[in-house]
Amino acid sequence: MSSAPSGTNNFKVVLLGEGCVGKTSILLRYIEDKFNDKHLTTLQATFLNKKLNINGKRINLSIWDTAGQEKFHALGPIYYRNSNGAILVYDITDEDSFGKVKNWVKELKKMLGSDIVLVIAGNKIDLEHERMVPLDEAESYAEMVGAKHFYTSAKLNQGVEELFLELTREMAERFEKNSQTDNNKSARVLVVDEDTPTQSSCCSGNRSN
Amino acid sequence: MEGAYDEIISDNPFFIQLKNEYSNVFQHCISQSWIICVPRIGSLNTRVFTVEDFCAHVLVPSDELPETHYSTLTEKQVSVANKVITLEVTKGLPLQSHILFEETFYTEDYIKYKVWCVESPLEPNAKLDNTVTKDCLLSINDCIDLLWTQAAGRQVLDQIEQNIQSFIKKHSTLPTAIAPLRDAVSELYTQCLQSTLQNRRLREKCKTSKHLLENIKLSVESYMQHLLFDLLFKPICTICAYEDSHLNKKIRNMSDIQLRDLDIKKELYHAVPKAKQILSKIDTYNTVLEKVLCLKQALNAINKIDDSNNIVLLTADDLLPVFVFLLIKSGLPNWYSQLKYMKEFRFSGVGKGDGDESDFLITTLEAVIEHIQSGALAGPPNPESYYYESDLTEDNLNTSKRRGSLTESISTCDTNGREETLEYIFDLIKANNSEQVQILLEKNQKHLNSIQHERNALKFNALDNMDNDDDDDDDDDSDTEIYQKLCHPLCNCKKCCSKISKNLLKTSPTVSSRDSHGLTPLHVASVHGKASVVEILIDIGAQINATDLNECTPLHYAASRGHQNALLLLLHSGASINKENIDKNTPLHMAVNNGHLNCVKALIYFAEHGRKKLKINCTNEVGNTPLHLASKWGYEGIAKLLIENGAEPSIQNRNNKTAFDYAHNLKILQVLKSSTPSLYEYIHITSTDIKTLNCKTDNPVTLKLNHLKIKNNEANNASKTVENLKRIERILQAISYGDVKLACFYMNINYENYANAKSTINKNPSCHPLCECQFCKKTHQTISDFDVNFTDSNGFTALHYASRYGLDELCNILVLNKSNVNACNKKGQTPLHLAAINNKTVVISCLLDNGANINALDLSGNTPLHDASEMGNIGATKVLLNYGPNITLLNGSQKSAIDVAKEKLHLTVIDLIEKYANKINIHNPV
Repeated sequence: MSSAPSGTNNFKVVLLGEGCVGKTSILLRYIEDKFNDKHLTTLQATFLNKKLNINGKRINLSIWDTAGQEKFHALGPIYYRNSNGAILVYDITDEDSFGKVKNWVKELKKMLGSDIVLVIAGNKIDLEHERMVPLDEAESYAEMVGAKHFYTSAKLNQGVEELFLELTREMAERFEKNSQTDNNKSARVLVVDEDTPTQSSCCSGNRSN
Repeated sequence: MEGAYDEIISDNPFFIQLKNEYSNVFQHCISQSWIICVPRIGSLNTRVFTVEDFCAHVLVPSDELPETHYSTLTEKQVSVANKVITLEVTKGLPLQSHILFEETFYTEDYIKYKVWCVESPLEPNAKLDNTVTKDCLLSINDCIDLLWTQAAGRQVLDQIEQNIQSFIKKHSTLPTAIAPLRDAVSELYTQCLQSTLQNRRLREKCKTSKHLLENIKLSVESYMQHLLFDLLFKPICTICAYEDSHLNKKIRNMSDIQLRDLDIKKELYHAVPKAKQILSKIDTYNTVLEKVLCLKQALNAINKIDDSNNIVLLTADDLLPVFVFLLIKSGLPNWYSQLKYMKEFRFSGVGKGDGDESDFLITTLEAVIEHIQSGALAGPPNPESYYYESDLTEDNLNTSKRRGSLTESISTCDTNGREETLEYIFDLIKANNSEQVQILLEKNQKHLNSIQHERNALKFNALDNMDNDDDDDDDDDSDTEIYQKLCHPLCNCKKCCSKISKNLLKTSPTVSSRDSHGLTPLHVASVHGKASVVEILIDIGAQINATDLNECTPLHYAASRGHQNALLLLLHSGASINKENIDKNTPLHMAVNNGHLNCVKALIYFAEHGRKKLKINCTNEVGNTPLHLASKWGYEGIAKLLIENGAEPSIQNRNNKTAFDYAHNLKILQVLKSSTPSLYEYIHITSTDIKTLNCKTDNPVTLKLNHLKIKNNEANNASKTVENLKRIERILQAISYGDVKLACFYMNINYENYANAKSTINKNPSCHPLCECQFCKKTHQTISDFDVNFTDSNGFTALHYASRYGLDELCNILVLNKSNVNACNKKGQTPLHLAAINNKTVVISCLLDNGANINALDLSGNTPLHDASEMGNIGATKVLLNYGPNITLLNGSQKSAIDVAKEKLHLTVIDLIEKYANKINIHNPV
């Protein structure tokens, strides 16, 4: 949400979704497009940075991968706070994973409102013949919650680039709109930001007594 | 990482010219998706470029290896590996250049092309030694370097130091909540940054390079944190004391968790020790920069290459569990404080927007702590699950039971039925199935008894019932029991044989059976806190103090797991309360270490009411008392309880650390300090360390100011000791001049008080040692908190000096201040020796009145009497003889005192000693 004085926008994007739906693969595919494994400066696929320049606008994407195991679900808020965008990944051959995406959408809407750009990705379209999540259902759901829907295949490198590009454009647009519509928006954001520190300080104050 | 190089490509003159003046080349590159290299802005030494320059910077992927091999438009071969471009040159070494970053450009029509920002131009002739600014700051030294070199001197560093000093002066007490504390420091950071940028040189440079500005910010922040750390981190620890102690309790109770309990992939196992080692160093770093880097390194260490040389990419699914494991095993007592520090005191990163890598690492740490705290991670469900891979649930238990009974009904010969294994008994205990446990164990016990009897019976037969006395009746029973089952008593058929042999071979577990780790059923029941089972097992006759492999008794386990009921049952059944395990930990240690206040209470109160002596100050293998542990992990309640029950905070462990040293927040320190009834008492017992610790907490600001002047901790310590030595020198000098007042002043002793008190003491010699009457109180007040037992380099104490120079008044003062009258210097001489040598008669009697050893030997074996006779000191000899010395003692040259006097021809002395000898002989004729 913040911008360096140089005019570079930093956007934080979280990848959410059930385990094994291919979050990490999508991320790797997006980065690997230019750098193969051996070129990765960091050997972990949990956090990656990508510099983009869309039509003269500099954008720095910080992409955070999250753990998909159910037991870590409760940690979601820690990861997605202050995010500008979220990619919700499901596996088209797994009905449950789509249900999980719906849960995430609900949670994100509740916690972050419309400050966050949502993109839903149906991964593994290389396994089209095993599809369990109906095409219409997914797309109409996405439309309902105001999210873009993409079909991707990390394996075949389909749709990944488009997914990120669209998300980035959307985030840039939203960011611009927010900074234009006077300070109302930012004031609201500030209130949200302040919530956490005051809470923590009041707690620690109590304890120190 | 923060501080990584960044610049705006579209502002780069090279890129602008290419785009504007050679747009046909540029457009062609885009349409072909060739890669454009742009030398970083600082590496360009000209503003005029030719077509060749541009062509040399366009990379065309090769057909065979498009990822790693390219050729330029000037037909040069280029390879890329590890973010380094290598350009083949016709002569000389190949030219190399780093890829600083990659930027993906999209045109209006969303056509994509890539630009690499490179460190230096890709042209052989463009070779110039450009001082490349370090693009990554990795340590506090890098930061100091940067500030130093960029400002060409240490003015900037001095500026920051000054700012900090005035900050310390202004905030004599720091806020005790995190938000105001952060705001105060953030204000200081802004000030520091402002004064840094007042440096003209720096300001000019920063104008041209945004990258440098970012690095300067980071350096200023780091240097500030480096200087402020001790002052800053203490209040943070205190603020986080509650969270930390809770986290510690959670972690301690999971301390034997294993990798597999967390579903960590096997491929990652090998890297865990290294990562753990790196991570546990996090508390040695002062700056947020270094701490974050430490996190990063620890995680990178996990991403190692596996056996088959494949890189194991760490995905988020793997990362969290491993991190959880590392945190639990790291053994750091203040993770929450570390997190808060990193999270709230990182100022320079904020401008770069949330979501950079540092933010990610810190967030990950936060997530891990949150995960542990949430209790979602209950630790290994069965603490000994790493002994057996037990997958028993209630269902499993039932089916296996059924199977067991089936097999039993089919073939009675089966000795390995499920029911017969110790494992099964343990599982029953875990399931709290007390009845079943009782039935099984009693059955097995009975069976065992019968075998015992049978064997006895055989013995009896062989011996023709010669020694048969007590067990006769029982014998008959068991005999008949077994033999009734046989066809006839002498039957030899298969069935009967198997019956007899089965009985002997049967390995059914009993109440005292142990598994491969030495665990008895009672251990298992205690581990799981199954009080009813514990009760039954004790009834059946379980050995209450049985020890396992680690010499742990059931009581140890009950204490460490916090099972108060089981613990009390064991105690009431006579478990020994002070039993030590292999690490010399008592049950009290275990309960304290894991933060189980209820168990600590139970142990203490039981001991109190049961008239048992609980060793509250016992030390484990590393010399830690329970109080050390409570202090280290920040368990305030337990520390208080221990102190109230006589725990001594001044005991030193093997590393010469007291509980005070382990206290990492003020709350614990206050608890510890509350215990010491009067200050001087423990100062007398222990080293001066506690005292310095005390003033640190009382007055951190003044101490910190001293700290600031000397960067190096060691130098600081050295200077402290130097200071101390100087003080000692001054005191001793004052004594040698006979200036009692001055000496008292140096030793913080109130001479006036003493002078008044002295007369009253002499008037009321009948007061007893614990007397609290006004006069005695007054003398107590005169006692200083300065440790008067200091020594100089030759081992002389103040009392030595006072004795040597005959200052009886000072001797009295010193003795009142708990000076050691029998202190030895390096030659082994006590103050009495010195007084004897120097013929200070009043001092001699004063010392002897206050418990000096009249027969003390120095290193050459001389008693004070030897010394007096050698010197021919008649007065001293007289006084000494009044106190009944042993005149027969021989010194190192096998001479008695009188021999020495004879040698020196001190006739009066000889006479005195002879008279004394005669007197003794009269009283005790030999």
